Amino acid sequence: MIDNPRRRRAAGRKRRAVRTGRAAVRAARKRGIVDEFATWIDRRIPYFEVLDTEALELIEHNADTVLEEIGIEFRDFPRARKLWKEAGADVDGERVRFPRGMCRSLVKATAPSEYWQHARNPRRSTIIGGERTVLVPAYGSPFVTDLDRGRRYATLEDFRNFVKLAYMSPGLHHSGGTICEPVDVPVNKRHFDMIYSHIKYTDKPFMGSVTHPERAKDTLAMAKLLFGEDFVPRKTVLTSLINANSPLTFDGTMLGAATAYAENNQATIISPFLLAGAMSPVTVAGTLTQILAEALAGMAYIQLVRPGAPVVFGSFAAVLSMQSGAPTFGTSEPSLVVYGAGQLARRLGVPFRSGGGLSASKVPDAQAAFEAANTLQSAALAGVNFMLHTAGWLEGGLAMGYEKFILDADQANMIAVLLKGVDLSENAQALDAFREVGPGAHFLGAAHTLKNFETAFYRSNVADNNSFEQWQQDGSLDAAQRANGIWKQMLREYEAPKLDPAIDESLVEYIHRRKSEFEDRDY
Amino acid sequence: MAMEHAAILEEEDIVLSELDDGELVEQMHEDLYDGLREEIVEGTCILLERDWGAEKVLNEALVEGMRIVGIDFRDGILFVPEVLLAANAMKGGMEILRPLLSETGVKPIGKMVIGTVKGDIHDIGKNLVGMMLEGAGFEVFDLGINNSVEDYFEALEKHQPDILGMSALLTTTMPYMKVVVDEMVSQGIRDDYIVLVGGAPLNEEFGRAVGADGYCRDAAQAADVAPAMVRTRRLGKIVNA
Ligand code: B1M
Repeated sequence: MIDNPRRRRAAGRKRRAVRTGRAAVRAARKRGIVDEFATWIDRRIPYFEVLDTEALELIEHNADTVLEEIGIEFRDFPRARKLWKEAGADVDGERVRFPRGMCRSLVKATAPSEYWQHARNPRRSTIIGGERTVLVPAYGSPFVTDLDRGRRYATLEDFRNFVKLAYMSPGLHHSGGTICEPVDVPVNKRHFDMIYSHIKYTDKPFMGSVTHPERAKDTLAMAKLLFGEDFVPRKTVLTSLINANSPLTFDGTMLGAATAYAENNQATIISPFLLAGAMSPVTVAGTLTQILAEALAGMAYIQLVRPGAPVVFGSFAAVLSMQSGAPTFGTSEPSLVVYGAGQLARRLGVPFRSGGGLSASKVPDAQAAFEAANTLQSAALAGVNFMLHTAGWLEGGLAMGYEKFILDADQANMIAVLLKGVDLSENAQALDAFREVGPGAHFLGAAHTLKNFETAFYRSNVADNNSFEQWQQDGSLDAAQRANGIWKQMLREYEAPKLDPAIDESLVEYIHRRKSEFEDRDY
Repeated sequence: MAMEHAAILEEEDIVLSELDDGELVEQMHEDLYDGLREEIVEGTCILLERDWGAEKVLNEALVEGMRIVGIDFRDGILFVPEVLLAANAMKGGMEILRPLLSETGVKPIGKMVIGTVKGDIHDIGKNLVGMMLEGAGFEVFDLGINNSVEDYFEALEKHQPDILGMSALLTTTMPYMKVVVDEMVSQGIRDDYIVLVGGAPLNEEFGRAVGADGYCRDAAQAADVAPAMVRTRRLGKIVNA
């Protein structure tokens, strides 16, 4: 819980006698009830599970059938096929077929069930896996949008802004990766600026570049400058996103980046990325089968590259509108998929990535809010360990919304409260409160209430619960307009976490040197 | 929907060759709607046997039928898999008509080479565009994903299309479209083709910036724009000549 000056001074004294002063109370109250230095959410409620053992075994059996009979293509990356051949798989051109159970045993034998991802500020280091949830901003949008300027291509300034906003959002435990694409920087050099921003403007853990194996290597080099040459191969400081090129394919770009990270003991999220109807069958069971088959093959490959390298079972599953071909979000079938995929990942004993505040809406409206609320809740209940796309996502990932980010970050805080479950301590049982108040009175002035009220209920920073008249007097603002004020104020108040000037200099020098080694290229 | 319809047809046991011309054309519109490739091939042959010109079959039976399909797709009544079947049925008819059309010197509706640019493996949208254009009577040569300048040039050379279509879904790959267009300019072949671009991270302005002739926000729009552009260009050529 927060470091509340009033609570500290009140310890052992009668509360009413405490002097705290306006400034301290104002500061403490503004912070809300989320621990500023929480690095993950400890889950204390059961998982929401939709498949019984028989169903799970059926899906696992079918996934093995797909792996054995149809196989997976490992394209444009001969090394993968070589490793598979040596491991005893049936390699036919780019197609690899796996004896039943092979991928599962490879993963079970050496993939860690959880791992530390270190941050430059040790207080921010986090654990991915187990009964924990780490919330991460959205990823990959070419556009940004806000109420003042509308939709536009993202720039490096937008990228930095979102890194700062994530840094200042206590419910987000991670800085993410390509939060938005800085389209104003040449394609072959923007990864330097993105990684540098994740190092400079935040001290939370972050993700590496995957769009080219060379860019993965640059990320690793910068991580080594930051954490130390000997620290990096020993410890994991990066978790990076490797999408399968579904259906049943991994491509050379992704395999190249994944291999570079795995060789250096850095974590990869192997994510089957399915828009059911186009990239997977239209059924929940078929989609789950494909997710398991692809994730197994990808994670097992990583274990061949470096046994013990951390891998995350990823799943991004949405459905394609059969009417238009457009991706849709926040409907019920993908919720069933995320619940089922969580179960499959737990049976394998590896961390699970999915979820986020997904929506197809273009603006932070009712559709954006209800779709995101649905997907965030399902992911939280499903037991997602690494929740990518928690905040900001609009237009199916085409736009990062400033206001949407604030609305989602509020939801993220709430997830933490939900997952903590029911407190059954003596204080929480509240028998003293009943004794004090008795029948027919109210609890507002009770000692138990006074002791607990500040942290008892989650307080949203965007919801307006005032009277109509009060709301009108405050300018009749809707949630998006209120969020607009919040992100601007956050950026005004932002202060960068300290970074060792020698390290900073070495990073700037490295970027400068590397950037001058090759021409700007826009592809 | 297509299935239900097929069942009804079977019950009625329609024999295409027994229909008069007007009825047959109407039935072909229905069969395109239901994506019945064999029936469309049969209907096309019957009309040709009845001495219809290829161009008349094309316009009155096929293009008109697909126009109706297009409207119902736009209105959300027909779904993507059904349009795919309809386009495939259209393709069946076109395969018969195409040689006849060229024999008689009738210009085909259009030819298009389409592919996703280098470094990019997104192809769902591109496939939809190809499908819709086939539905509109185009001959479409799909180069798949990850295409370099050389791949595009080779296909242009080989197929001599009216349109070069490029698709990109990544901000990191969409600038490659400019690389292709610039190369076309420097080889002096830019004006030989219409260049159409599309993909979710693009917009109108970007399309202009890379030097394309058009940007399409979705497949339905591409199917509207492409034939119109081909027609305009042919007219322009005649006027300029
Ligand atoms: C020639 O004339 C024309 C005319 C019109 C044309 C046209 C050409 N081409 C398209 N159109 C238009 O008509 C079509 C039909 O109406 C429309 O096509 P669309 O393609 O827009 O629409 C389709 C019908 C449905 N839409 C789609 O199919 C794309 C959906 C999203 C979610 C998407 C998907 C599905 C995928 N992805 Co990717 N993916 C995203 C996309 C986000 C989004 N919402 O668009 C985007 C584009 N991806 C992104 C990323 C980051 C990536 N993806 C990657 C991989 C994949 C999958 C393989 C998993 C999968 C593609 C599978 C496939 N076979 O295509 C990776 C890149 C791989 C590579 N080397 O290319 C990877 C780098 C992720 C990773 N870390 O692994 C983001 C782009 C970031 C950027 N730099 O710009 C992204 C916005 C999602 C995100 N937020 O992360 C129109 O645009």
